[in-house]
Amino acid sequence: MSVAPPGGRRAPTLALTGILKRFGPTLALDDAGVVIRPGTVHALLGENGAGKSTLMRIAFGLLAPDAGTITLDGRPVHFASAAAALAAGLGMVQQHFSLVPAMTVAENVALGGRGRFDAARAAAVVRRIGEATGLGLDPGARVGELAVHAQQRVEIVKALARDAAVLILDEPTAVLAPAEAHEVLGWVRRFAEGGGSIVLITHKLADALAVADDLTVLRRGRVVRSAQRATWSHDALVAAMLGEVPEGPAVAPSVRPPGDEVLALEGVTYADARGVVRVEDVSASVRAGEVVGIAAVEGSGQHELLRLLAGRLAPTRGLVRRPATVGFVPEDRHRDAILLDAPLRENVALRGLGAARGRMPWEALRARTRELMARFDVRGPGPEAPARALSGGNQQKLVLARELDPPPPALVVENPTRGLDLRATDAVLGRLREARDQGLAVVFYSSDIDEVLAVSDRVLAMHDGRLVASDATRESVGRAMLGATP
Amino acid sequence: MDPQDPGGRRLMADALTGFLEAAVRTATPLAFAAMGETIAERAGVINVGLEGCVMAGAFGALVAAGAGGVGAGFATSAVAGAALAALFALCVVRLGTDQIITGTAMTLLGLGGTGALYRTWYGAGGAALSVPTAGPMAVPGLSKLPVVGPAFFSQPVVTYLAALLVPVLWWFLYRTHAGLALRAVGEAPEAARAAGVATARLRTLAVVAGGALGGLAGGTLVLAQAGTFAEGMSAGRGFVAIAIVVLGRWHPVGAALGALVFGAATALQFLIQAMGWTLPYQLFLALPYVLTLGALALARGRGRPPAALGQASG
Repeated sequence: MSVAPPGGRRAPTLALTGILKRFGPTLALDDAGVVIRPGTVHALLGENGAGKSTLMRIAFGLLAPDAGTITLDGRPVHFASAAAALAAGLGMVQQHFSLVPAMTVAENVALGGRGRFDAARAAAVVRRIGEATGLGLDPGARVGELAVHAQQRVEIVKALARDAAVLILDEPTAVLAPAEAHEVLGWVRRFAEGGGSIVLITHKLADALAVADDLTVLRRGRVVRSAQRATWSHDALVAAMLGEVPEGPAVAPSVRPPGDEVLALEGVTYADARGVVRVEDVSASVRAGEVVGIAAVEGSGQHELLRLLAGRLAPTRGLVRRPATVGFVPEDRHRDAILLDAPLRENVALRGLGAARGRMPWEALRARTRELMARFDVRGPGPEAPARALSGGNQQKLVLARELDPPPPALVVENPTRGLDLRATDAVLGRLREARDQGLAVVFYSSDIDEVLAVSDRVLAMHDGRLVASDATRESVGRAMLGATP
Repeated sequence: MDPQDPGGRRLMADALTGFLEAAVRTATPLAFAAMGETIAERAGVINVGLEGCVMAGAFGALVAAGAGGVGAGFATSAVAGAALAALFALCVVRLGTDQIITGTAMTLLGLGGTGALYRTWYGAGGAALSVPTAGPMAVPGLSKLPVVGPAFFSQPVVTYLAALLVPVLWWFLYRTHAGLALRAVGEAPEAARAAGVATARLRTLAVVAGGALGGLAGGTLVLAQAGTFAEGMSAGRGFVAIAIVVLGRWHPVGAALGALVFGAATALQFLIQAMGWTLPYQLFLALPYVLTLGALALARGRGRPPAALGQASG
């Protein structure tokens, strides 16, 4: 059964050309473009930060491009807001849903309309779309109480209720169980056969190859290749996503043989609050004096794996063995690692604060902060300056200094170079090697596979919540984390 | 007194009528202010400056009623409340300032500003000015009902306006797309924006409308109750109204019922006096406030505020 866009609107040809977008000093999109043909599924692939979501957020009017044009059926359009894009027949389901949890399905679908609001009529719209498309929902159900896949359905129905003929889905299967993902992809295919267009932003090669008519690969803000499905092979996709980098000595040599096991996972499974399995039956061990790198695309379960190792999450099943203190450098340092408006000495004092009692030894902490700043090359005005006064690289160095002194037996580091310039990146990665040489067990994840390979003694590739075997070569690790069969 | 005595029974009926009439009269300004605050809070903005809006409205009523009569007084009170609320909205919605701090500043501005203007324009002597007042308007037929007739159907016209506002506001919030959008802005502004709602404009409008009702509450105090203006005459009603919003679970019907309960608590002193019971009057003056605290403690955990209430993002 094919499902036509319920409004009967024919999908226009959506074309983006020469799109340029800067975020501060970084060029997120550099002369990027894509053409979405009517009645097709168009997969948009690329590593983390390749610019897939940014490009589509521009198409949907959520971001303004710095340069470039958008056309619908050849007519140039300018979307100043999502409302304008909606009116032109575009719809977007973002990775983080835009729903009002306290309201019902019908109210969420009706949101953004004009004039009188009739709950019964809004419910009828939900039911009508459900019958026409197979996306059945209870119009009176409170959205906050729905499971994730049903919330995603609400998002799609919302877009269809606005007569969207071009529907952008950002990582629609990332949060779903396999059976639910299969169902959504089946629906995507049918929607295109009914004349609608779908843009599928995804990390998952298998999904893209299974349902897409056209595939476009982005890397570092540029389009690597855009072509019809028949011209793509699995290997060609992997190569396009990872880029051609000369194969060098991938893994950094260790100074001395690793010592005793410090961290260990035995058959560990972790399911999140919604019951979606994020980490599945993972066994691994990390020994003193080695850096174990994790290679994975976003949403593969590495976020949870690192927190299981650091003791921030408890496993649903299985056993985690770890020392009492594990240093942890989380990805979002502004949210999870430092107090931006507090002086540096207070940020240093945060370590182990939960177990500390009594008066604050500020004089000693001030001296310690000064000493750490000198030793770890943190450039800033001094212990009394707020963390906000430091550059991102120096903030990260301070966080590392705090976590490394006194040295814990193990250190877990998540994307520590995000947003840092080259110098700061080198400094941070150097610290990780130093920590290893001092005998720490280090677990290191970076979204940049080359960084993982450059720093780690061993690399574990992760795909879909599981560890995947691979050789220590760039190609093998890359293929493993993208879910390619060896 | 002897219940068989017809004179005594008459006295009791009169006392009851007086009590109900006073309850409704006292509840009217609270209902206006609480419904106004309900609108603002449903859009995610907690307007702690409501007390200032009430004072601005009271002073506006004084100025305009002296020159243009009761009708002009009420209209100006709403405009004055809306103007102060617009200043508040400019700060919190457009400039992203903290809602509690800014609201506190608005309360102080409303209290201090009206006091200063009053002394400048009307002299520092504090001589009570008398302004034209809105007399009771009897509803034909209904006002002749025993006990409840005089209590409910022989009230100033603004009381009927407040009563009419309850279903109108309910209809707006739950039966129009604008109301749906307003509630969505208070719950999940990002989601509302993604659905094409102009969140900042809607928040601003909600705050201004809420301020107009707060101003009307002040106008009611001057034109339908006191017949004069005094510095600080709002006497915490703006804050009580904010508490009523919580008790009324952010619903217009709840706000109106809450206002009636507090009106009744205040009116209790008239009933007690009429019945000739002797109790320290301070007890009754304190009663509405004690009731506020008690009711807030009881309401804890029941009902749920809008999820984005007080958040800067709009």
